[in-house]
Amino acid sequence: MFDFYIQSYNEAVFDTDKQAALDVVNKALSDGLSPEDVVFKLVIPALETMMGRIEKDPDSNLAQHFMTAQIAADVTEKMLEKFAQPPEAVGRVIIGAAHGDLHSLGKRIVTGCLKALMVEVIDLGANISAEQFVAAAIDEQAQVIAVSAMMAHTALGEKGSLQVRALLREQGLEDKVKIAVGGAPYRFDPELYIKVGADAWAPDGVTAAKVIVQLIREVKP
Amino acid sequence: MSMTDPDSPQPPVNTNMLLVRSDNQVLQLSLMNGASVREALDATELRVRAACGGLGTCGACLIQIVNGNFNPPTLAERQKIRPEELADGMRLACQLRAVSDGELYLQYPAPHSQWKSLDASELYRAAGNAAIAEHVYGAAIDLGTTHIRLSFWNRQSGRRIGSRYSINPQVACGADVLTRLDADRLSNADSQVLTQLARKAIIEGIRDILSRDIGEVSPILAEIGKITIVGNTAMLTLICGSRDDSLYEPENWQLPITCQPADIESWRKAWRTPHAEIGIVQPLAGFIGSDLLADLLATAITEQPQPALLADFGTNTEIALWDGRTLWASSVPGGPAFEGVGMRNGLSAETGAVCKVSKHNGEWLLQTLDDAPARGYCGSGFIDAIALLLDEKLLKPSGRFAEPQPVGGYVLDQGNFRTGICPADIDMFQRAKASTAAAMLQLLVYAGLTANDLQTLWICGSFGRHLDLNNAMRVGLLPTVDQDRVKLLANAGLSGCEKLLLDPVAQAVLNTITGRARVVNLSGVTEYEERFVDNLRLKPV
Repeated sequence: MFDFYIQSYNEAVFDTDKQAALDVVNKALSDGLSPEDVVFKLVIPALETMMGRIEKDPDSNLAQHFMTAQIAADVTEKMLEKFAQPPEAVGRVIIGAAHGDLHSLGKRIVTGCLKALMVEVIDLGANISAEQFVAAAIDEQAQVIAVSAMMAHTALGEKGSLQVRALLREQGLEDKVKIAVGGAPYRFDPELYIKVGADAWAPDGVTAAKVIVQLIREVKP
Repeated sequence: MSMTDPDSPQPPVNTNMLLVRSDNQVLQLSLMNGASVREALDATELRVRAACGGLGTCGACLIQIVNGNFNPPTLAERQKIRPEELADGMRLACQLRAVSDGELYLQYPAPHSQWKSLDASELYRAAGNAAIAEHVYGAAIDLGTTHIRLSFWNRQSGRRIGSRYSINPQVACGADVLTRLDADRLSNADSQVLTQLARKAIIEGIRDILSRDIGEVSPILAEIGKITIVGNTAMLTLICGSRDDSLYEPENWQLPITCQPADIESWRKAWRTPHAEIGIVQPLAGFIGSDLLADLLATAITEQPQPALLADFGTNTEIALWDGRTLWASSVPGGPAFEGVGMRNGLSAETGAVCKVSKHNGEWLLQTLDDAPARGYCGSGFIDAIALLLDEKLLKPSGRFAEPQPVGGYVLDQGNFRTGICPADIDMFQRAKASTAAAMLQLLVYAGLTANDLQTLWICGSFGRHLDLNNAMRVGLLPTVDQDRVKLLANAGLSGCEKLLLDPVAQAVLNTITGRARVVNLSGVTEYEERFVDNLRLKPV
């Protein structure tokens, strides 16, 4: 029976059909599955399978990427309301697009995947200054600052993650807050994240979420 | 759906087909409603030689009848052509009108040019202004990312002497506005090249009109009193030769950007137009150009109380919503998807572009511009293809093909690899159409309206010319509204620019529009992003 849910849920996600995915989940719930099982045994494995497939499949596209992450985040959010006990978050992340960068959709995929992995995400939006990133990380006691940059000059710019690094150093926070980066320029140069003072980078949503969870574990006692 | 003013009755269309041959070109010409052969050829790449405005006074446009029935020779032809040549079928293209289908031979075509005549039926009609006593000529210019459109006027009499369009030669420096800005930012020398490229292209277009439609150039250039230019902000920045990087700073995107040339005297000198007042119509904001303002003037949507939505499709798709009091304006990346650039077999609306696709008895039917062999898809043809692929269940609403496709994509015409459609093309289109639809919906929400409240949905830009509205709604590019409420105006930008050049009250209307405009920057608006993702699927909005 459980295989049936997995199969039909994966199919719905593969077709990026949110309504169909929700229908499967609701059927599973009414058949007696727990919301926890839905998230951990259905949503997260499907997200990983799908993202893996997208990465390998030459026919897959960015539009499907967006939709898949959105479905995972939406379904997870709906299930979290039904959890018997509020789940303990893995950690907390401040995410935003770098100073001067208004491309906000890339970080949306990451946000969707992070939420599905039970990470709390505080999205500051686009065109975020280094000061805003660091202040939010302190206020929210976040473990990771994730800076998205879609253009070369916002990735490499002095007001981007380079300055986030400088501020963390000045305030002695480098052991408590880690920096993750992502976006088109990093895909062209896998070493670029080091040049901009980041601790890690990832080429896609699921990897980003996993890399960020890793960083959280490094910091969190 | 109506192409022009709905109140003007459409005369019955009477079309004759002509085959026109030169020594290295053959083309099919459709002659509508008694147009002259010259008028029809002026809109193609095979133009006759000409040095008068089609009055029959220069005698340059000789062409030979091979077969078919035509009007009898006019007085001008009998004066310009020797009787034995007339008997041999030699005629003047500007005087020649077809009575039946037929065939013509053009021995001496004009040297090849990028410039073609525009269909003037949609353009502005001017009243003339007797108060203009000197430097009576004027030019209106719509400087687009991929195309330049312009027209030349006698401002005093209100007569349009000629109109032209051509590919913007700057395209060679990067298909996308931002790429070109990047070039602008990277090197001063490159930027100078771009500036001069655009200026040179415009004056060549004007000179083309003068030499072919008046017959003299320098004396007329000296009599030009006014030149009005509209365009998107990046193009206007480039033609002004501005060297600041202000467009790169997001805080400037919503603010008015001043585009004024610093070198106006040398610009006038280079153009040999000593008396021309060169007016750059200022953009509304960093990401909303004065081409949108010109569209609004041409369609006059802000001059009536009912809600209307206007979209000008292009590299950036600019969208304006009038709710009766406020003009909500924004722009979204169309990606170059709507202009064909960036897609494997994408093409702007040019010769050989597949502009319409249909399916008949199981066969794909591809219609191309100028009936030339297919070289790729322009926006309208691509949308038709996607809609039909969905109907045939060859393509899923997710944007995936039902079956894996070979490297060349799904090829509609098996004999022509340029008709292939690849998954990456569909991806690009999905994002472009989702951002357009989401922006329209978001502006409607801000104004407290729904698509049903719209009295009119205007589609501006050449993109709309061949657009199948059913298919555009089927794939979710446009909100589903009654087709009677959709109006297309291909040359709206130029038409509005002409209004500014010629109509003394147009500036006041423009001031009212900018005074009522609310510029909306949608990037980073969470609600908009959610709508974007929700609209990625290939289904009606």
